[in-house]
Amino acid sequence: MSPAAILVRDLKKSYGSVAAVNGVDLEVPRGSFFGFLGPNGAGKSTTIRILTGLIPADSGYIEILGLPLAENEIEIKSRIGLVPDESLLFDRLTGAEFLEFVGRMYRLDRRTAIERATGLLDLLELPNDRKIIGEYSKGMRKRVAMAAALIHHPDLFLMDEPFEGVDAVGARLMKDILIDQVRRGATVFLTSHVLEVVERLCDHIAIINHGAIVTAGTLEQLRAGGESLEDAFVRVVGAERQLERLDWL
Amino acid sequence: MIPAILRAQLLSMRLVAHRGAAFSLITGVIWYGAWLFLATFVEALAQRAKVPLLSIWVPAGLLAVCLYWQIVPILSASMGSALDLRKLLIYPAPHGKLFAVDVLLRLTTGFEMVLILAGGVTGLLRNPAIRGLRSAPPMLSLILLFVLFNLLLASGLRSLLERLLSRRRLREVLVFLAILAFTLPRLLLVTDVRIGGVQNLGALIHFQAFPWAAIGDALLGGSTAAAFSIVLSWTLAAGWFGRGQFERNLRYDSMAAQATPSSTEPRRATSWSERFFRFPSLFLPDPLAGIIEKELRSLARTPRFRMVFVMGFSFGVMVWLPLVLGREAVRNSTLEHNFLVIVSVYALTLLGQVTYWNCFGFDRSAVQFYFAAPQPIAQTLLGKNIAALIFIYLEVFILIGVTVAIRMGAGFGGIVEVVLVVGICSLYMMAFGNISSVHYPRALTPERVSQGGASSRFQALVFILYPLALLPVFLAYLARYALASETAFIVVLTLAAVIGGLMYWLGMESALKAIASGRERILADLSRGEGPVASS
Repeated sequence: MSPAAILVRDLKKSYGSVAAVNGVDLEVPRGSFFGFLGPNGAGKSTTIRILTGLIPADSGYIEILGLPLAENEIEIKSRIGLVPDESLLFDRLTGAEFLEFVGRMYRLDRRTAIERATGLLDLLELPNDRKIIGEYSKGMRKRVAMAAALIHHPDLFLMDEPFEGVDAVGARLMKDILIDQVRRGATVFLTSHVLEVVERLCDHIAIINHGAIVTAGTLEQLRAGGESLEDAFVRVVGAERQLERLDWL
Repeated sequence: MIPAILRAQLLSMRLVAHRGAAFSLITGVIWYGAWLFLATFVEALAQRAKVPLLSIWVPAGLLAVCLYWQIVPILSASMGSALDLRKLLIYPAPHGKLFAVDVLLRLTTGFEMVLILAGGVTGLLRNPAIRGLRSAPPMLSLILLFVLFNLLLASGLRSLLERLLSRRRLREVLVFLAILAFTLPRLLLVTDVRIGGVQNLGALIHFQAFPWAAIGDALLGGSTAAAFSIVLSWTLAAGWFGRGQFERNLRYDSMAAQATPSSTEPRRATSWSERFFRFPSLFLPDPLAGIIEKELRSLARTPRFRMVFVMGFSFGVMVWLPLVLGREAVRNSTLEHNFLVIVSVYALTLLGQVTYWNCFGFDRSAVQFYFAAPQPIAQTLLGKNIAALIFIYLEVFILIGVTVAIRMGAGFGGIVEVVLVVGICSLYMMAFGNISSVHYPRALTPERVSQGGASSRFQALVFILYPLALLPVFLAYLARYALASETAFIVVLTLAAVIGGLMYWLGMESALKAIASGRERILADLSRGEGPVASS
């Protein structure tokens, strides 16, 4: 069994003539808090969607929690907690009903699912009332998605911009929960555009650009020159350029 | 401003249009071809009719055009394209221009009537009896003004209804009342119930203060000036009404109207609704029971579904009852005997657009949960089908109650028959439905009651699929009728059930293969937004 939580070799995915993911190699150590960074359109979301089985790869090898993805999709899915960039919430259910539903999809019995749903609503400061998710704010929706990712006590979290739209208090709460999960041995794999968050939380980082990993390692390795993560990121993706000015602006 | 909005809409539609061009074309050709045929027929009639006949039928025809334009979009729960004001309000667009676009879009719900009017006017202009009475320009001007009156009135009614239908619970009552208002006069007429208002329908048609009567009178030699002043007055009133309603819609907060009543208490497990939602879990294991329960909860809270559900038992009864009863002398015993089966199968077909034809429609991008969760996707489709079937049978049991109440109850044998027939028809419908749900998925807005259930290219296929799905059961009834034998009926029905089961299995396998190979496309289709004009 591989010691890596995620092992990816030569992963490729194209849309027409555009290579969204172009030969990604990635190794995420178990028990790590892994930041997956890249500019917009670099291939972060596509990679996460392939890892969760939402979309198929064109080629490459993927091993998750020591199991090859192709042969163990159901087993792997049952051990992953997912917070995608787009909503996977069913808007006409209440928060409690949705969490109970998710728990049952992950083979928890109804009683356990209800108990855990109630506990998670309380933990994430969400209402346990008749309000349906469609009426939730963006931050509340992210918190429900986070609760849904936690309900079956997964070994690996795959999160695409989990703190987007969440207020400072909510984000702090979610970060503390994730840190707790890493302490108990779970692995967190997240993407974020807020580099300060990644810098504070993650111990391992990979940066993807134009569909390929351009650098990967521990946070210390990336900041070897004493520069901030933001400076390192801008340097690695080659985004340094002079601000152009428009005459009319 | 107007070209920019229309261009944005065209650009938003190009991918969908490219992929579904052939099917959309087929749908359009069939639909408008039929209306064009009818318009040609009207033209031929108008060309040959004598003045006394025209004096009756021209006002009646214009009233029918007006009623179709205003009422049919409501009854069919497809109110046509309209501006998505949420997307346009942020721009500094003058309200007058937005209103002009909205009025023009009312043509989408009444273009059939433009064809009919064109046919009628052409026929009248070529009618030797009329030619001498009126020249073309005033006739065309009056008709164009009548079209404008209808567009403005339709715009106002749509805005008003959109607001009313967005209010919790009120929409179902409104739909029921609209259906009642439309079908009750017909029911009273065929059953010979004498009510003054119904008998005086002729007076309503020919009352000169109404635009249809004024135009009819002017076309046949009456005062053109008087007709112009009457139609212009009505058009101005419709414009005032339409603009007023449009402005109110601009200020309307639909989210506030739809908000769940504040309650700090979660739903009690002992409430009737909770018992209903949890009922499948008594018999079925998870995750299947969980999926069914989720579907029952979601659909029961989806305005669009609730409206169609109400239509399923009310519209069916009210449309079919006059046909079945007829006048005493021509009462149709075959239809009467099978009334419960007819209205139940009708309800089954009506519910299809919000359930099995496009079963992921209301989930939209959340459909990815089913792909990411560790349950086989076959369980998801099966769970959705069972949830749809539960609602279909709920509809059937309501219909059984209604038929008993109106003393047309089918007896125990009849009830068993309808339960079996609906179940067998459902097998075929859901076999096709599972395939359509994965090949032609379309994101539906649960709050928007006027949005169609399947893509336009699929709606073209439905023309063929409905008769095909109902054919085996129809053959069973044909066997009963032709051979006058219950045994023949049971044998053919059993055969239909066996083939239906096989069809369902094949449909499921085909859908699963399509999901395995087209998961990305399904996700993309269900995550797609619309342009500044929201289609029906």
